[in-house]
Amino acid sequence: MGRVRFGAVLFVIVLLGTVFAPMIRPVDPLEPNYRATYAGISAEHPLGTDRLGRDVLSRALAGGRVSLSIALSATALTILLGGTLGSVAASLGGAVDTGLSRLFDALLAFPGFLLVLLVVAILGGGAAQTVLAMGLAGSPVYFRLARSYARSELRSEYVMAAFALGASRPRQMMRHALPNFIGSILVQGASTAATFLLVEASLSYLGLGVPLPTPSWGNVLQESRSFLTRQPWAAVGPGIFLAAASLSFQFVADGMRDRLDRRS
Amino acid sequence: MTRYLVGQIFSFLVTLWVVLTLVFLGMRALPGDAATILGGMDTSSEQIAAIRERLGLAGSLAVQYKDFISGVVQGDLGDSLRERRPVTAVLLDRLPVTLALAGLAFVLSLVIGIGLGLLAGLAPGGPMDRFTTLFATAALALPEFWFGFLLILLFAVNLGWFPVLGLPPTGLSWQAAWHLLLPALTLALPRSAQVARLTRAQVLEQRTSDYVRTARSKGLSPRGITRHIASNALPGVLPLLALELGGLLTGTIVVEQVFGLPGLGATILGGISARDYPVVQGITVLAVVVYIGVNWLADLLQAAADPRLRTA
Repeated sequence: MGRVRFGAVLFVIVLLGTVFAPMIRPVDPLEPNYRATYAGISAEHPLGTDRLGRDVLSRALAGGRVSLSIALSATALTILLGGTLGSVAASLGGAVDTGLSRLFDALLAFPGFLLVLLVVAILGGGAAQTVLAMGLAGSPVYFRLARSYARSELRSEYVMAAFALGASRPRQMMRHALPNFIGSILVQGASTAATFLLVEASLSYLGLGVPLPTPSWGNVLQESRSFLTRQPWAAVGPGIFLAAASLSFQFVADGMRDRLDRRS
Repeated sequence: MTRYLVGQIFSFLVTLWVVLTLVFLGMRALPGDAATILGGMDTSSEQIAAIRERLGLAGSLAVQYKDFISGVVQGDLGDSLRERRPVTAVLLDRLPVTLALAGLAFVLSLVIGIGLGLLAGLAPGGPMDRFTTLFATAALALPEFWFGFLLILLFAVNLGWFPVLGLPPTGLSWQAAWHLLLPALTLALPRSAQVARLTRAQVLEQRTSDYVRTARSKGLSPRGITRHIASNALPGVLPLLALELGGLLTGTIVVEQVFGLPGLGATILGGISARDYPVVQGITVLAVVVYIGVNWLADLLQAAADPRLRTA
């Protein structure tokens, strides 16, 4: 089985698990049960329970919904933001190009995680703020990618031909150039999504992500830290889910990158 | 080389200036008026004016900007609101822990990454190559702090080989290296994976080049060929190493938290939650200067190693 297919299958499993969480695990992830705190692994609680007697598997599945939607929204935002501005810079050129390039260069001069942390410090914690912070911090990569792809495509002969036939600049870009490089950008997007899953978890771990008690993978892991030695499963279980999701994106990205390389 | 150097210094300064301006504007975009928040409800307008003065928020934006830039140039980052002493003093207190941790993590990632990358690249398709590819993919997919949990569970709790949390009471000493080893290993894992990937790719590229074929056909020993390949492949890894070294100063934030280490990470998180903005701003300036500086140095080193790069 190729890496792409393996990654896709893994992703679908994780996705189905989190989407249909209420059906698979009818236990409420927020419902405490003080008579069953720190319960071990059993048929009733496949991953045990935490300090408040909440079911760890339910929490891991529910956390996946929050974490996956945040990571995927942030990936969409960062591609849209960086990709659009990069294409605009490449097609307009001149002062717009210089100005935008300088701005994104300056963003690149911040260590990535610090930039996310600072934006969250300015905006406050929460799901939307996390998406915005990661979307901004990730955008310089897509600006550069889109700009360089668009520049080389716009100079190629088939775009020249479209120009000779009277196609406007936006049409040359959208209709002719874009379909030829959007694939490479989306492949990069899969690996960004993997990173964003980890960044979101780190932010939540620091208490700067989605506020408690909403379970996200980072939140569940953060809470598990205080009783790590009493209930290791509360940390290990959700961590494996998170790693599987991130791994699935990574596999798809790597496999697709190799395929694109071989063709060119 | 001189002309190249002058150009590089100029572009370094321009980037630094743009970034400092962004930091200045960002700090002024913080929610609410910092002086009012800090003063609380029952503060008179004179007290607020005094706080504002201390924060460097008095005067027009242009005056504030001038003070901020000239302060940074002179190494003055203002006063911490919480600790009531210069930010530079706070940073100097906390920096050694982070530097020790970052240094150890960097050395580990360098040794593991380059070692695995070379072994994998020199025998593509072999067992070492397959192991390295698997290791790199897995290491990049694991949340850093979660790997820290696992190390704590395994080595500190179950086996009892390492201390679980914090530094020894003696502070930073040789004994502290033992305390820093697990957090450094946690930091080194994803970083060594990236180094290994790039080293492998660079080695693979060199392996098939003409000079290697010539060296092989004239009967050079495998060791000699490896030396040729390494000396051409490794400069290509420099920019990545610089990104990692430069990023480690703030890359330690999460891991410091997991292992309870009192470094820069703990300081910036404390600064954010206590709204001690001068401290957050100071650490940001320091981190960005180091980050740009190290990357810039790597460019110079790479140009020194490879004259073809000196044209830019």
